[in-house]
Amino acid sequence: MKKFMPVEELARDERFNQITQADRMADARSAVPANAESTRRSSNRLTPARADASDAARSLMHGIFVGEIQALEGAGRTCWDFTTGEEAPFGLKLDMARQAWDEARHVEISLKLGDWMGSDVGQYAENTVLFQAACSNDPVLRLAGVNRALEGLAIDVFTSMKEFGEMAGDPYLEFCEDWMLADEVTHVKMGSDWLRKVTENDPERRKKALEFQSIVDKMFSYGGSRSDSDESSLGIARRFRELAGFTSDENEHIAELGLQALEERKAQIREKQAAAKN
Amino acid sequence: MTITVTPEAFSFVSFDSAYIARIATHVAEQLGLTDIDINIAVDETSPLTRIDVEVTDSLISIRPLSGALEDTRRPRQQSELATTLAMARSMLRARDRLRGGFENAPLDAELTLPQAAAWDTYILGRISRMDIEVKKQAALYNFRNRHGFNDASDHVFEKIWNTDSVTWDELSALSANTLTLSA
Amino acid sequence: MANPQKPRAPFAPWDRRELPGSFSVEETARRVGHYKWAEMKLFEALGGWIATVPELDIKMRLGTHCYKHAWHAELWHKRLPELREMNPERLTLPANDAMVRFIEAMTEPEAPELTIEKLVGVYRVFIPHFISAYTYHLNNTSEITDMPTIRSIKFILQDEFDDWREGEMLIQSLLETTEEVDRAAAHQARLEKIMLEAGGIAGPGSIGINTPAPQGAMS
Repeated sequence: MKKFMPVEELARDERFNQITQADRMADARSAVPANAESTRRSSNRLTPARADASDAARSLMHGIFVGEIQALEGAGRTCWDFTTGEEAPFGLKLDMARQAWDEARHVEISLKLGDWMGSDVGQYAENTVLFQAACSNDPVLRLAGVNRALEGLAIDVFTSMKEFGEMAGDPYLEFCEDWMLADEVTHVKMGSDWLRKVTENDPERRKKALEFQSIVDKMFSYGGSRSDSDESSLGIARRFRELAGFTSDENEHIAELGLQALEERKAQIREKQAAAKN
Repeated sequence: MTITVTPEAFSFVSFDSAYIARIATHVAEQLGLTDIDINIAVDETSPLTRIDVEVTDSLISIRPLSGALEDTRRPRQQSELATTLAMARSMLRARDRLRGGFENAPLDAELTLPQAAAWDTYILGRISRMDIEVKKQAALYNFRNRHGFNDASDHVFEKIWNTDSVTWDELSALSANTLTLSA
Repeated sequence: MANPQKPRAPFAPWDRRELPGSFSVEETARRVGHYKWAEMKLFEALGGWIATVPELDIKMRLGTHCYKHAWHAELWHKRLPELREMNPERLTLPANDAMVRFIEAMTEPEAPELTIEKLVGVYRVFIPHFISAYTYHLNNTSEITDMPTIRSIKFILQDEFDDWREGEMLIQSLLETTEEVDRAAAHQARLEKIMLEAGGIAGPGSIGINTPAPQGAMS
């Protein structure tokens, strides 16, 4: 088995259809209004008050499910890709194995929640951006990508879903999301701690890792799907992020990246829609 | 009966207007809506799934956002099942208003979320008996989201799902009573 | 009411633990180092394979088992300093070259259609050898002096049995044709031959056979 697996080789059965972030961004349609004057719904926050709340929650749940599969694969690959001691400390790899178990449980939970909400495995396309963006060949960058950016996104997503369950009175959803949220906080903390420890005497490497995280964070804002704006379906779960070791400054930076991504996406949509009309 | 579909050619998605028209014709025939014109105007600029339906004595106007006809596994591709379901849902809603005891139902935009969920359950239950694949668990989840996650709500869901004939007054009363029980 | 002044036997009649054991401190440390090395190789392989198997249920099981073996490696890592090995890396070694070749052969299958081979290597060869090596150690070490090792082995063996059973059931569920049975058997035989050469997880004498009496053993 080789080291460092390209995203195209992630093994799936025939129910899954994988798409890339480029495919997704090539879609000129948008749930986000490209113009402020647009009459389309002004808030895209995932709440039960949305008329399409059940469909939207189901779709997000499937996104969580495939995201958990990729997080499981990413954690597992860290156990394999890096030589113990020389490239990655033994303790770091033990943490990644622990994370693999946690993510495996999250896949199980997501499958059960998918049944509960009435969706099938593979019902929605699988965006492979999580694995693609997070699985760097440098263990420190991978920590920044997987444990801080990807798992940080998971904190935001699970917080939204937990709140959705609370508001809708869905005890099953709320219960499961709360447990998964606890695990994600642990994973981000693992990432924060190891990043600090491994780069203790190498400020350049730390800087590079944080820059990489910033790039991944922007990608994971999915063209503005996550920001403080109501036009984004997900908010930023500052309290849980702080528990996991993100500083206030880091959270503000992620919030800024989200707004930037939203504005860029809106400009892109305006351009694509104008081109399509001509 | 005349069925028209716009746009004729799609640029944001890979949909086929003739295919949509064929599916709509088949569903209209199944539902006995052969004596009324149907206009389908797809908004291909949005990936959302909402469908607006307006009815007069001589015309049913169906305005789906493109997500309602899309294959969720293959973005921007049309799904035969999703298109069939979208047409069946819209036409059954229109038929209910025209001749199904829903004459005094509020306009779609004025329906409360629980009322809309109850009506959708009634529609989907009947579609499932037309040999069209419907995800009952998804309908149940939507009904629970609007009426509560409890046995009373599930009991009413089953009752609505299994009926082939209910009036708006009966349906809205069932929805309101369920909300009272869940409170 | 018991009389608190009355002397009692230090070993109760039902406590039949024996002092003698087959392994010295050094021999125990050597074995524990090999166990740790082998458990590490196993958890790394299981982690790597997760992304290569298309079967969703197997993907999830590999993720779960990956952690269990990492935890076993951690238990052995912590045991080594207690056995006077202050640099645990020094003894974290394969038993011999054949053991290295075994791991290379076991981790060779990569393509998504080779799940049978992946599982056979782990659940029909490697884990059964863990079970036998641990059982031998459990039954031969001093029940008093080496109780910390025994305690770890008991925890670990429980995992090994559980995982072996799950893995075996997954293999059985994948074998649908006689050709696949042959594939599984051929791969098992290939790996088993290398393991024979290695002599087991801790090298020759892993289960007591072909073992010269370890130095310092008290029997």
